This record gives sequence, structure tokens and C-alpha cells, in this order.
Amino acid sequence: MTELAQNLIDGLGRGSIYALLALGVAVVFGVMHLLNFAHGELITVGGYVALWTLGAGWSWYIVTPLIVLSAVLTSLAIERVAFSRVRGSSDFTLLLTSFGVHFVISAIFLLYVSASVKPFDRPSWVTNTYSVGPLNIEVYDTVVIAVTVLTLIGTTLLLQRTMFGLSLRAAAADFDTARLMGVRSDTVIRGAFALSGLLAGIAGVFWLMRAGSISPSAGITPMLKGVLAALIGGLGSLRGAVIGGLVLGLAEVLLRSRLPDSIASLTEGVVFLLIALLFIFRPQGLVTVKHAVRV
Amino acid sequence: MFPRPGRDVGFPIAGCALLFAVFLAGGLIYESFQGRAAERLVTVMLIDAIIVLGIQIYVGNTGVLSFGHIGFGAIAGYAFAVFAISPAEKLKRIPDAPFGLNDVLLNPALAVAVAIGVTVVVALVVGIGLARSGAESGAVAATVITLALLFVTHEVARNWPDLTGGNRAGLTFKVGAALDSRLPIYLCLLGALILARLFAQSRSGKLAAAAREDNLAARAMGVNPLVQQTAALLISVAVVSVGSSLRVYENGSILPDDFFFNYTLLTLAMLIVGGRNSVTGALVGVAVMTVGRELARRLGQDGFEVFGLGLDAAPLDWIFRENLQTVFLGLAMLGFMIFRSDGLLGDWELDGWLWRLWHRRKPEERPEPLAEVAPVGLHVEVDREGAALEVHDLAVDFGGFRALDGAGLTVGPDEVVGLIGPNGAGKTTLVNVITGIVEPSTGWFKLGEREMIGAPSHEIARAGLLRTFQNLRLFGALTVRQNVELAARVAAQHRPGNHPPVDALIAEAGLWHVRDRRARELDYGSARRLELARAAAMAPAYLLLDEPTSGMSDAESAEMIGRIRHMAAAVDAGVLVIDHDLNFITGISDRIYVLDQGQVISAGTPDEVQADPAVRAAYLGAESDAEGRA
Repeated sequence: MTELAQNLIDGLGRGSIYALLALGVAVVFGVMHLLNFAHGELITVGGYVALWTLGAGWSWYIVTPLIVLSAVLTSLAIERVAFSRVRGSSDFTLLLTSFGVHFVISAIFLLYVSASVKPFDRPSWVTNTYSVGPLNIEVYDTVVIAVTVLTLIGTTLLLQRTMFGLSLRAAAADFDTARLMGVRSDTVIRGAFALSGLLAGIAGVFWLMRAGSISPSAGITPMLKGVLAALIGGLGSLRGAVIGGLVLGLAEVLLRSRLPDSIASLTEGVVFLLIALLFIFRPQGLVTVKHAVRV
Repeated sequence: MFPRPGRDVGFPIAGCALLFAVFLAGGLIYESFQGRAAERLVTVMLIDAIIVLGIQIYVGNTGVLSFGHIGFGAIAGYAFAVFAISPAEKLKRIPDAPFGLNDVLLNPALAVAVAIGVTVVVALVVGIGLARSGAESGAVAATVITLALLFVTHEVARNWPDLTGGNRAGLTFKVGAALDSRLPIYLCLLGALILARLFAQSRSGKLAAAAREDNLAARAMGVNPLVQQTAALLISVAVVSVGSSLRVYENGSILPDDFFFNYTLLTLAMLIVGGRNSVTGALVGVAVMTVGRELARRLGQDGFEVFGLGLDAAPLDWIFRENLQTVFLGLAMLGFMIFRSDGLLGDWELDGWLWRLWHRRKPEERPEPLAEVAPVGLHVEVDREGAALEVHDLAVDFGGFRALDGAGLTVGPDEVVGLIGPNGAGKTTLVNVITGIVEPSTGWFKLGEREMIGAPSHEIARAGLLRTFQNLRLFGALTVRQNVELAARVAAQHRPGNHPPVDALIAEAGLWHVRDRRARELDYGSARRLELARAAAMAPAYLLLDEPTSGMSDAESAEMIGRIRHMAAAVDAGVLVIDHDLNFITGISDRIYVLDQGQVISAGTPDEVQADPAVRAAYLGAESDAEGRA
């Protein structure tokens, strides 16, 4: 029982980060039908910002907003340079474009910085824990969960209460109609990329705090978790993305602690198998989105 | 599954042999100038070509972007290595190998067979998930799964040192165990070429391409995309397995990073640059990228000098650093996606070009009129006697909106029945229900004695209910003739009996002069007529025509009446035609149902319906209002 509770807390911490990543992926997918394989690069860029600023002796309190800011700016820049040119193209083109962006960015770091993994200082409290009854809770997990909840509340308010949020949801439901109703596609798409960058930035801060290092290929894992979680939740659903993230995080933690030692190191493989099974039996993901098909 | 031998196979095979010869000659000529230094380059190019062709079989035919093929390649590579490396070598790297694999030793050819087997089994499981989620949430979902597969095979390879030797050591063959002759590589490449080309030409390949062009229309025509995509995946994965085994053997070792992102990027870039929808294109892409990389490498190494002008190595050194390759590849991919997403060749094929050259000399004769080659009596082995289409009490809710509210109708085997109603009356929803696209909350419909509610679209189509679409869903990249031929092939498999000849149908639809034009190039009226011909080619029991004249002029519309009636009579099908144009419906129908707000408010002959006061109030009133506003 204690162990289960412990797993749940650990899994929620991990799942929260995935949820933020997945939500960022889903927001962009909603307005452009683009699954952004370059989403992880937002964290990579933030990581190098962290490396340089922390190396210069700045504290995490100053570095944190810089990481988030760099992610937002990178997201907007990618949209301007690459994605704005392929708007409305086929899925195939969109996917490969984002894949190309992923490669170009990571290769630039590979070329002009270094291929090796560079460490930086983590904040001192990251590894601290405190006890509640029999449970050992990490300060880190607590902060992650709290910030995620606040971010989700903020995002919900943004989407529900502002004109931008309304445009974005309208565009996600039916882009062409939304445009006809006067929603400006440029504004909505850029706004979506900014929001996506903001969410990736927040997730990135936590990701980097835990990792304590950066390398050109560091973006791959968070990107993959993000798109997988969005898919598990049901592509096109923002709520689904958050649920997908939490489910993926919980599944990973539970499996890693429950699987016999001999295959515990293969958790990723087992999780993938489960996902493949999920799609065989529930191909639309956990949260069903009704697509109005015009025929 | 493959084209009829003799007639269709000759050109593709000859074309592939020619392609292979040119490709290989290019490599050998370069090798003869550069000597042994270029030997490995050419070998690597040949092996890359096999793998890229394997990927093309899936990506080209299904249109689903796959990142996972290199992951499948990793599985095959490890399987091959584990079975082909001698126990003595394995003892050094993986002394604790599971399942007693330590003592196993197969000769390389058998090990390749095992590798194919293992990989295909994995692909079968993954493939069903792929196809199902792809059908549900679009190709994007399928792509994410392939990406996850790539990532996961890499993770497993790194974290299962007992089997794979882990991240550092990997598995290695005994020094000098590499291939002593290139013959196996040649044979495999030629085989891969022919297989890829024949698959694209086969029934399976064509149906996969149809689903690629328009998934919904393909299902409404009786194609089950799940089957075609899985077939393409399995064949494609088998070819990739062969290529990957060769790659491992040639390298003499395998490490997790050998089959990961960088190689995925390289192979995909080759495929994209050349043109993913073409086998010739895939090979051209391999050649172009190989030459490009080699050029970049040599420029960086040696500098260059042309006609006395040139640069030495130093200033170029920073540009042509090793890792810059990745940037180049990424940029090449981006550039092609943004400016020329179909690659250099699009879907141009060498053998198709040869075929057209060959046949230009003898023009085709216009086929006999449909009525003469196919008089009434094209009986399909479905008992038509009394096989009425009965629709009873259908209700459909979209959220809070009730699109159909207890609608029902009957169509007899030789009847042309019209369904009319203002926009939003539920006409298209009714067709969507009886073609399996929308599920009703209540009600049922039967074709003859067969209860059809709940059957998937493709089965309904195979049972003989064939529809056209209000907003035109043709297979745009295929020619007029291929569109119709595809339907005929589905019919030949699933609706035994006599079928209307393809060419006669095309002529009947007034499309003979554009038969080799791509469907997406047709004008609106021709496209509508093609959709009709394609549906008729299935030898349907009933044609369901959703606004077959929308967007046509009055004159075209009037001409369409005769065409539809004539074609339906020739293929012996009943017709349910939907429109909101009263003149057209009264002109074409034997009987008419009037639908308003999801309910049938009137039924009868055209005269009776026109005289019905309820119709005048509900329908004609609404329509004239609408016209008044417009």
C-alpha cells in the first residue's frame, strides 16, 4: 500500500512534465494539424541557455525565466522560418518538415558547441526529500506538481476566458470556418506556437533541473514523451493530452517498480508494447474526439 | 496478388533490370577511377539502396511517413548478428545470452531468413496497431507509433547487454568474415527493385495507393485499408531486414547507434529527395545523396581545383566538418518539403515511360458502347429478385442536433428513386448511415435479406451498395482509367460474376478522350462522371448518388439524367439519388421521397409529390426563400 502510494506520487511528478509537453504539442496540432517533432529542441535551446548562464555564475532564479523565454522565442522563430511555409500542406510534408527542423537545430549545437554531454549545477533542493507518514516525498516532485497545476489552471483560463483562447479553440475545432468568421490565422498560429513554447519552457526547466546536463540530442526524449502522450490521450484533444501525459508517467513509474529485476531495464519496451496494444483496441486514444467528416 | 504474368509484368521487370544496370554501372565506373578507396563507398551505396527501396514500399504506397523502418532494421540486424556470429566470438561479448542463443550458429543466408522471420512477426503486431490508429486518427498517429518503435528498439538494444552487447561493445564478427563477393548484394538489390515495382503495380499496391489518396472513398469502394497497409508493411519490412543484415555483415559489427536517428535521417532524405512515390525516384535519391556526401567529404579533405581556379582544403575545412552532413541532410529534407515535396521525380517510373513510348505507335480503339457489350443481364451472383434496399426508422444525433428522426424508405432493384429536401434535411446523413460511415442511434436497413447495420464501410460496398460523394472523392494521383480499373479489381475479388468492361464504362461516361489524364486534372463535370463510372464498375446492386449534379450547369445536369439512367440500366443497378434540385430529381426519378428535418414528409411519383401541399409548404417554400436571399 505504501509502495503504491509512493509510486503514485512519483508517477504524478513525472506525468506532470509529460502533460505539459503533450499539451504544448496538442495546442500546435490543433491549429495547424502539425505534430511538432521539433518540440524537444525548445528544451535543448533552454538547456544551452542554462549551461551558459549558470556557468557564468547566475542563480537558478534568474536562469529559470530565461529558459522559458528562450523556449518561447525559439518556438516563434521555428514557426516563422519553417512552418509558416508549409501551412496547409499534407500531413506527410508537415511531419517531415518538423523532423527536418529537429535535425537542423540539434546538428547546429552538435557542430558549433560540442557533441559531448555538458554538466551544470542543479539547484540544491532538487534531491531533498521530506516525509509524510511512511512516504518519502521529493521536494522536486512537489514543486513540479504544484507548478503544473497552476500552469494548467492558467492555460484553462486563457483558453476559456480570453478572445485569443476562444479563437484558438475555434481554430482547433474547424480552422477554415474560424477563418471565415474573422479569426486571423497568423495571430492564432503564432499565439499557439508561443503558448506551446511557454509550456515546453516550463516543462524544460524541470527536465533540466533533474538532468543536470545538456547535449545536442537531449531534446529527443522529451519530444517523444510529449507526442506519445498527446497520442495516447487522443490527438486533437487538449484535455486528452494532459490525461495522456499523466497516464504515461504513472505507467512508467509503476512498471519500473513492479517488473521483475531482469526486465526492469527494458521498461521502455514494455511501455511501448502496452501502447501498441492500446492502439489495437482503442485506436482513437483515451479521450474520444468527434471529428466532423464532411462527405 | 501480383499482376497477371506476361502482360503486365514484362515492362516493370525490364525497367528494373535497366535501372539496376545503370545504377551499378555508375558505381563501378567511379570505382574504376578511384580504385579500392571507392570500393566501400559503392558497397555502402548498394546496401543503402536496398534499405531505401524497402522503406519506399511502405511509405510510397501507403503515404504513411514511417520513422520506424530503421528500428525494424535494428531488430533484423541484431537477429542476424546473434545467429550468424560464431559461439566463440559471442562468448567474448555476450556470455550470458538468453534462450541458449550462445551455442547457435547458422550460415549467413539462413541467419538472414531468421532475421526476416523475427522482424516480420514484430511488424505484424505493430502493423495492426499502426493501421488501426491510422484509420481512426489519420496518418499522423501512425507516424508517431513508428517513431516510438525506432526509439524503443534503440533503448532495448542499449539496455539488454546480455543479448546485444550493450551500448559500447556491441556484437562483432570475427575479423575478415565480411562478404568475399558482392554477388549477394547485387542479387538482393535487383530483387528488391523488382519486388518494389511489382508491388506498386499489384492489386494490393494499387488499393493501398487508393487508400493513400482518399481513405474514405477507398473504404466506400470496398477496400479495407488495414489489409493493404499491413501487406505493404510486411513486404517492406522483409526487404529492410535483408538490407540491414547485409549492412551488419558488411560493417562486421552492430551497435545501437548504427540503426538510429542518423541513419533514419539519411535513408529518409534519400527517399524524399528522389521522390517517395516512385521506385526509380528512390534509386535516384540514393545516387544523388551518395554523390553529394562524397563530394562534400572530398571537398573538405582535398579542396578543389577547376581550370586552375580553386581553393585548398583549409578554408573549406570548417564547412565540411563531419557533423555538417547532418545539417545538410536536414536542410535538404526541409528544402524539398517546402519547395518540392514530391521529390525530384514525383511518381515518374522508367518502365512507365518506356511503356508509353512503346504504345504510342498503336493508338487504342474506342471500345464498343456499353449497351452492346454489356446488355442487361450482367448478373452478379447476388440474387437480385426482390433484393430491395429497405431503410427503416433511422435516427441519428450529432450532439444535441437530431439529423435524422425516424426516416425510412425502400428502393426496388430496377427503380430510380429520388430523395429530396432542403439543405440540412438529413439527406447526406442518410447515405452516410447506409454506407457505414455514421452509426445510427436507432433503426435498421437491409439489402435483400441481409441486415447491414453495424457492418464496416468496405463490407457494405462489397455487398453491393456503392456511393458517390457530394464533394467528389477521386483518387487524384491515379489516372481516369486506373480509378475505374481499381473498382473493377475490387469487384473481381469480392463480387463474383460478370462485370462491365472498364473501357466501355469510361467511354459511356464520356471520358474516353481523357482516359490517361490524372483524376485531379479533370474539370468538375468530368470528375463527377468519373465518380459515377467508378461506382458502376463495382457492378453494384444499388448506386447511391449524393448530389451528382452539384456544381453543374442546367444543360450538363439535364444530360446527366440520361447518363445515370442509362448506366444504371446497363449494369443492372437500382439507384437512390439525392439532390435539392427539384427539376433534376423529378426528371430522373420513378418515385420520390421528400425529407425535411430528418423525417420523410411525403412520398410518391413526381407528380404526386409536387402536388402535395405539405411539400410545397416545407420544401418549396424553404427553397424559394433561400433563392430569394441569394
